[in-house]
Amino acid sequence: MLKTGFHRASLTAFTGFKTSPYTEGALFYGEKLVAAQALESIISQTVLVEEPKVVECAPGGA
Amino acid sequence: MEPRLTKKEEALIRETIRNKYSQVAAASPGSYFRYPTGAEGLRRQRYPLDLMRDFPKSLIESFCGVGNPFSLGPIHPGEAVLDIGCGAGLDTLLAAKMVGPEGRVAGLDATPGMIEKARAHAVLLALPNVTFQVGEAESLPFPDNDFDVIISNGVFNLTLDKEKALKESHRVLKPGGRFMLADMVLVAALPPEKAGKIENWYQ
Repeated sequence: MLKTGFHRASLTAFTGFKTSPYTEGALFYGEKLVAAQALESIISQTVLVEEPKVVECAPGGA
Repeated sequence: MEPRLTKKEEALIRETIRNKYSQVAAASPGSYFRYPTGAEGLRRQRYPLDLMRDFPKSLIESFCGVGNPFSLGPIHPGEAVLDIGCGAGLDTLLAAKMVGPEGRVAGLDATPGMIEKARAHAVLLALPNVTFQVGEAESLPFPDNDFDVIISNGVFNLTLDKEKALKESHRVLKPGGRFMLADMVLVAALPPEKAGKIENWYQ
């Protein structure tokens, strides 16, 4: 769901219905972002990188 | 990652699933599923039975969902709802009651027999704000940004291209729209003799 663009995507609960010995019912929820949320999401995921500090070498390489 | 299927295998899976659900449409689902269906299934999943008092017996008996997508959040009056894999129409018609006359609900199913049954149930309930049509989750016959809510119950596991089906769902939802899905997931590893078998798609 996340891969296809859903926001707040989650498996919220199992339903208790065993559909086979290996499978069970589950509930999933997701939302399509509104534009403002999309911007917030981009900002929150943006990692701010500080500019590298340039320090002049002292004479003698210290 | 799902193993890649040949075109022949895909065709076999689609045809077998359609045949199975055509048989379910023609009979009561009870004998086809291992978990509670019909009224017992609805009660156990805590469906809002008060909204379903006028539902005909054949509609109640048709329930074979694996959960209750309505438990994921409210559906409001006036909203537009799409039910993907609507079957005989129980969730669709329940959503129609929730959205009221100002809202609209569309039910989509790949099995023509199910759509016929769903249309008959809508006529019995005289709900004018519901439409049903035959179609696939991987190519939804609706414009972009058309629905406030998508519900689905026990159907996405049957879609051959799940990523495409999810992309289509995302496309037809309005910005801010909610996707409320009940489906089955693998909770234990399949034994080696069962893993990778085509039959797993429709058992």
